[in-house]
Amino acid sequence: MEGSGSREPVLDAKSELIDFQWKLGMAVSSDSCRSLKYPYVTVMLKVADHSGQVKNISFEMTVPQFQ
Amino acid sequence: MAGELEGSKCLSGLLSGLAQDAFHGHPGITEELLRSQLYPEVSPEEFRPFLAKMKGILKSIASADMDFNQLEAFLTAQTKKQGGITSDQAAVISKFWKSHKTKIRESLVNQSRWENELRGLSWRVDGRSQSRHSAQIQTPVAIIELEFGKHGQESEFLCLEFDEVKVNQILKKLSEVEENINTLMQPV
Repeated sequence: MEGSGSREPVLDAKSELIDFQWKLGMAVSSDSCRSLKYPYVTVMLKVADHSGQVKNISFEMTVPQFQ
Repeated sequence: MAGELEGSKCLSGLLSGLAQDAFHGHPGITEELLRSQLYPEVSPEEFRPFLAKMKGILKSIASADMDFNQLEAFLTAQTKKQGGITSDQAAVISKFWKSHKTKIRESLVNQSRWENELRGLSWRVDGRSQSRHSAQIQTPVAIIELEFGKHGQESEFLCLEFDEVKVNQILKKLSEVEENINTLMQPV
């Protein structure tokens, strides 16, 4: 993945991870490509920022990205 | 004029231009640009249906993500059709797909990703010293910064702190995901 370990994390506003959920899906078809056939991983993080506010952040990765 | 179109010399360039426009989102590749650069001797009226035909063929191949057997069968059928393509043209299209298939597929996959995607992950381990009493304890803490964003939009950043226990919990979850991926990817 681009940028892995190549820069130091910015220190301000660290959040706490409360929960980590994952989902494995398979994209079958779309309007731009009838034969997609790629698996992907969706991750949902529940984080609390320094003020205690909780929010959900989700993002997708293809299998090579995940690995 | 028709002879110009039947020739296969410029077809490779045309397919590249079409791919840049249709799949890789390169702006400014107009019909007129392609005609004037690659087929200047051909009139716009003649060029238009030819371009449409090639575009249709390329889109069909990409949409079905054809393997090489399917490609050969498809192109052979196109050469036999009324108003289809020549076998020289079929050879150029075949060669083009074989060398550009992976990149085109990657672009098509990206076109259908509308959620946030993980763009980067940076990490650092700090050793926190605790000295409530005289003994100094080094507690390692992992600081992880995630970079994510939606296709074509600017990145957002999230900075998280984990102790060793949490890191192990996350690693365990990641192994579960990996196990499931391996099961899913098993040939049926």
